Amino acid sequence: MATCAQCKSFFPVPENADDFAPGKGDCVREVKDEKGKYWLSKPVVSDMDTSKCPFFSEKV
Amino acid sequence: MATRHKPIEYHGKNIEFPYENPAEEVIDDEYLHEHLAKPTTERTKRLKARCRWKHCAAGEFVDNSVRAGMERMRYWTEGHKASDGNKDVIKRAICLQTFLEKCTVILQEDEKIIGYHAEEPTMVPLYPELSFLATQDYIQNSRYAPQPVEEAKEINEYWKKHSLLSKCMPYFEPYELERMYRWASMEAPAFATGFNSIVPPYETVAEDGLLKRIELAQEQINKAKAELAAPHWNAPERLPLLEKIDLWSAMIMADKAVISWARRHARLCRIVAESFETDPARREELLEMAEISQRIPAEPCQGLWDCMQMKWYVYLMCHAIERYASGFAHKEDKLCWPYYKASVIDKTFQPMTHKDAVELFECERLKCSEHGAGKSRVNREIFPGSNDLFILTIGGLNRDGSDGCNDCTDAILEAARNIRTTEPSIVFRWNPKGRLKTKRLVFECIRDGMGFPSIKNDALNAHQMLYYARFSQNNNGATPEEAHDWANVLCMSPGLVGRRKTQKTRSEGGGSIFPAKILEITLNDGYDWSYSDTQLGPHTGDPRTFDTFEKLWEAFRVQYEYTVSISIRAKDVSRYWEARMLQLPFVSSIDDGCMELGRDACDLSEQPNGWHNPITTVVAANSLVAIKKLIYDEKKYTMDQMLDALYANWEGYEEMRRDFVNAPKWGNDDEYADAIIKKFYEDIIAGEMRKITNYSGGPVMPVGQAVGLYMEVGSRTGPTPDGRYGGEACDDGGISPYMGTDKKGPTAVLKSVSKVDSTTQKANLLNQRLSVPIMRSKHGFKIWLAYMNTWYDLNIDHVQFNCVSNAELLAAQREPEKHQDLIVRVSGFSARFVDISKYGQDTIIARNEQDFGAEDFDFINVSAEELV
Repeated sequence: MATCAQCKSFFPVPENADDFAPGKGDCVREVKDEKGKYWLSKPVVSDMDTSKCPFFSEKV
Repeated sequence: MATRHKPIEYHGKNIEFPYENPAEEVIDDEYLHEHLAKPTTERTKRLKARCRWKHCAAGEFVDNSVRAGMERMRYWTEGHKASDGNKDVIKRAICLQTFLEKCTVILQEDEKIIGYHAEEPTMVPLYPELSFLATQDYIQNSRYAPQPVEEAKEINEYWKKHSLLSKCMPYFEPYELERMYRWASMEAPAFATGFNSIVPPYETVAEDGLLKRIELAQEQINKAKAELAAPHWNAPERLPLLEKIDLWSAMIMADKAVISWARRHARLCRIVAESFETDPARREELLEMAEISQRIPAEPCQGLWDCMQMKWYVYLMCHAIERYASGFAHKEDKLCWPYYKASVIDKTFQPMTHKDAVELFECERLKCSEHGAGKSRVNREIFPGSNDLFILTIGGLNRDGSDGCNDCTDAILEAARNIRTTEPSIVFRWNPKGRLKTKRLVFECIRDGMGFPSIKNDALNAHQMLYYARFSQNNNGATPEEAHDWANVLCMSPGLVGRRKTQKTRSEGGGSIFPAKILEITLNDGYDWSYSDTQLGPHTGDPRTFDTFEKLWEAFRVQYEYTVSISIRAKDVSRYWEARMLQLPFVSSIDDGCMELGRDACDLSEQPNGWHNPITTVVAANSLVAIKKLIYDEKKYTMDQMLDALYANWEGYEEMRRDFVNAPKWGNDDEYADAIIKKFYEDIIAGEMRKITNYSGGPVMPVGQAVGLYMEVGSRTGPTPDGRYGGEACDDGGISPYMGTDKKGPTAVLKSVSKVDSTTQKANLLNQRLSVPIMRSKHGFKIWLAYMNTWYDLNIDHVQFNCVSNAELLAAQREPEKHQDLIVRVSGFSARFVDISKYGQDTIIARNEQDFGAEDFDFINVSAEELV
């Protein structure tokens, strides 16, 4: 089972952040539509199952 | 070719009107406005080109990609369920905290100011805790419904029993609710629509930062706990501290959550800079933005960029996240001035040029333009061509009586003129001390057809702040110095700005009643025959039995009083429950009064600011004039004949209609009409409303205006004795002449309007339309300035202008795709013309374009020598 931690969109929350929790990260995705580019950041946990995530892309 | 105004003979001189900018003489009238947008930088040009507008037309979002988001309702509900068992104010803080921790944060290409309130930039959030009816409307709409829709339905069902509506309904009889929900004689109550407005105390966040506010709340808790534990327990004195401790605790939770949320934005900027962005300049910029959001709003602002980012975060909290609220009320030039000075003049922090500052204000305008308000359908319908009522204020005087205009005021105006967006609208406080350089920029925005700044009489409104202060329940209303710190809360009504005493909820002021419909039902014993088929008011008798005009007048008074009373009662019942279940921990935390007294923002009222909006007053007033003249004075017709003609929508009564149309009308300096209408405004419209005392202990005063309701309510109002057909639009402003009936020129309008004592009203909107060839001529500024000085000397409260030709408006109707930048003033707000329905567009075309003649020049005191 692939997890969020293995995804290239996963960025761990630094330990000195207000919202730090072990395993917590930001899922940051770049989106492009006819109006331009934007980035979305959503809180996730490193061991979350990604089997239903359409955006999973393994880190290389 | 542009149309040049024909020469005018004035005091023996032939005055010519060449264009101030000769290059414009070759631009066709039909395309003028497409030549006026000049974004200050390439960035704002790109941002405007890709702007995700959220304009509405006929209640629908114009952009097909707009839809409702799920996150706001999902996480708010999750927080509410998880906090079960806590005090309500703590529950509210937990709801906010849950949303801010879990929501998606967004950064868009090219942005310098960041932050959004839904999970995609195309989405609008929903507020089921405010109105499950409004949420239901989104859910039922396949185009907008939040996904997954079953989850949305379940959430909305949950809120039915926890909503403001469910709490307020038991205090009204079913027939009372039905009358309010009709939106025919009065606006439906905010506890049903969820509509709201607020004036956030931005100043405390700019000057203190939220970390300091947390510290203050903690000190208050410590003091209260020490008092609880002090010797000689005294229950009546000390038990109230429990609620205060809860509120201060909720403030701390809210502020910590907001800081953490802003810092999530900082992290996103850094991640994008380091892992996505390839342009080195933008990478640097993103790192700077990351640094700002790490510090702001936690710490005090130091530079202009800090201040602009702080404002946007606080705006989102107060208007879009903790609760929905319309408006953008702040005195922007005063608030930003210390930071403009630091960055642009002293260059001590975030050094930048004036042009950089203008770019920042353009960026803010574009953030407003793509902001999406998840408001109810009716509240989308009544602001056609716009997204929400973004209205900021500039100009006027400082606390010490010196001129409040500064270089920051100019940057705000330059940005508005250059980028050309409908939002935010601007209010300019006109004072004789205001510097000419700034007034010239105000003129340029108006001349270029923005419809704003709308202009308010500075002294009159500062005086009003002192009047309301007399009724302060804790004797802490505006001081003479603070009275200078006012801004429009929404379109028209002033309210204090600053660190405390600002208006926090629309249940204090806002909401509408409709005199034209009230007259219609007065003529039918309280019954609405033309629209709702309902008894909308008390029985005041068959008008056929009224043998004097005074009896009709008094019957109207009874109907009007009834409508005002029930409307204000609905607002105060809402306020009662807002203070008990819709507390605002974040807003409270940034208000010095709430912090000091331990009282929630919805509960505490230091400065009363009660008002309600009569909309369609002039149709009612002109109708009363026609009735008095033709039925009671001249006895040309009987009441019976007139009623028959109205029931037939004038069909078969064309000659009679002509007489009623030709009866004297408001706005022509006509003694007969103006005497009746002056009394109508002062004795009934204001006189009856001011007998009310609202939650804050002060009087409620009328704010005559129209927004888009003059169309919406016009369509629900039957034929009226001013000769209007049933369903036609009503008058487009509180004290504006009915469209096309002001035939004696611009100064005759001013003379009529000045007869009503402005101090009896809280505000009154005057819509005027000025000649494009005059305004763009080399004499345009001189003539307009003289007009404005006369307007001020006549002690009139307000004026706003359309300056766009019929040639261009008609061209835009034919080919909307070629006129995307054409902006018009509707009433209290500006709109993109092509996004308004044809019904609405036609009401703007029908407004009389005021031309100036020799008599007008004399009245406004322009000398012939000045014009040669």
